[in-house]
Amino acid sequence: MAEQSENKVNKLVDHFFRHESGKMVAVLTRVFGFANIEQAEDIVQDTIIRALETWKYGKLPDNPQAWLYRTAKNKAIDLIRREKIKHKIEGELAPLLKSEYTLVPSMNEMFGENEIKDSQLRMMFACCHPTIATEAQLTLVLKSLCGLSTKEISHAFLTNEETIQKRLYRTKEKIREEHIPLDYPGADSMPARLDTVLKALYLLFNEGYNSSHPEKLIREDLCEEAMRLTILLTENPSTNLPHTNALLALMCFHASRFNARLDDKGFIVLLKDQDRTQWNLFLIERGNQYLSIAAQGAAIHDYHIEASIASVHANAKAYEDTNWHLILELYTNLFNRTQNPVVAINKCIALGEAEGYEKAIAELNKIKTLTEHCYFNTSLGEMHLKAGNKIEARKHFQKALELTSSHAEIELICKKMSSC
Amino acid sequence: MEKFMYLFRGGMDFPHSSSPASQAHLQKWMEWMSRLSKDGLFVAGEPLSKAGKRVSGTHKVVTDGPFAEAKEVVGGYLIVNAHDMEHAVEISKECPIFEVDGHIEVRHIDTISM
Repeated sequence: MAEQSENKVNKLVDHFFRHESGKMVAVLTRVFGFANIEQAEDIVQDTIIRALETWKYGKLPDNPQAWLYRTAKNKAIDLIRREKIKHKIEGELAPLLKSEYTLVPSMNEMFGENEIKDSQLRMMFACCHPTIATEAQLTLVLKSLCGLSTKEISHAFLTNEETIQKRLYRTKEKIREEHIPLDYPGADSMPARLDTVLKALYLLFNEGYNSSHPEKLIREDLCEEAMRLTILLTENPSTNLPHTNALLALMCFHASRFNARLDDKGFIVLLKDQDRTQWNLFLIERGNQYLSIAAQGAAIHDYHIEASIASVHANAKAYEDTNWHLILELYTNLFNRTQNPVVAINKCIALGEAEGYEKAIAELNKIKTLTEHCYFNTSLGEMHLKAGNKIEARKHFQKALELTSSHAEIELICKKMSSC
Repeated sequence: MEKFMYLFRGGMDFPHSSSPASQAHLQKWMEWMSRLSKDGLFVAGEPLSKAGKRVSGTHKVVTDGPFAEAKEVVGGYLIVNAHDMEHAVEISKECPIFEVDGHIEVRHIDTISM
């Protein structure tokens, strides 16, 4: 019991530091300039270390957040005063940071609530600058905005620490060479940049929701971070667009199922078997709200459709009450827009429920491009099982088994096979 | 754009004090300088310690403290961009030092030709 609660405390502490470190890096990068992001990260790192050293002797400050901010602020002021970075600071804040009259008041302002939000938004846009490769964008967001360690990031991407470190190093070099500023994009480039940011957040959420790490299926933290950052976007007028809200709705609906997705042994529970009393009604309600905000305005984005599909599931009281015809319609629409083969698979699953499994099997067999994909094979297996073709089902489940390294997925497939 | 220097004399003894009144006054300076910075007029500036040394004459005699009268001591300086002296004077009038009966000496920064 003691170990369990210690674990819980450690998780909370990790979460707190991760959360705050992301905010502080954003603020200090704004102060020092994007090119000097390393210095910002170093100061934040030192601050966290200092906190861990000072607090472990039981002397927790009344306001830990304020303690962190004050410490980071003072370190930054110190650095500026010691001329170590003064000459490198550029931009509209520079004159105020270089004068004793305005150094401390400016730094205090930068650590104000609104400024912190502003800095994080700028960070999001800067990290998703078009000259930075997509993979690198996500890595940078995870490192700088979300406060993940290179180890945690390497787990999320199923690669090694060295690869992540190299990627970060190269990206920072690029930022310096291209003089990428920590600014909002101009009105012309804003729509495209926002789309990139949203895509990164979508990937981030997805990474947390379907973590490819073999040991943990759900990384709640990644999902939470993705949602937190998307909420920030909805709080800013120039980024609070219908499809931003649609994405947030989608995230809410998925996140509402967290507690029901895994059983107490850590095995996957499929949607149809989930205990819907475990679904987070608050999140579903939020999802509904965001979706209705998203519905205002004429433009339809893929996120609208995905969110609508999720909404149909989320608002069904039981699996049997699911409106499969509507879902089929939505997936058909989505597939026409994206030509995405995974969407095609989902469409077939809906087709199976709405119009019969043999039909779905026929449609699935038409998809040639994903025969080596685990999901394709589990879907085919499932359809065959439901249609009563146990031998065919077993064949596909066996294939699926070879195509995944996730323990949770392996467990699930084995369970399926035992009913063949 | 030309460069001008403001020499601040008199007024409140801040930012060395941490009393609420001083903090409020400092905040006004921050707002004034922020505005200047946003308009691209702020170049540099620093507060000066009231105590100091005076080094004089051919014999380089060193004495304590600059002046006898508190209101004569230069408390700090600011370098600004301005179109001309008139403009520089206009900008200076926004300074909070006048609320506490201080003064500003406005001087043009000359270029020296070889």
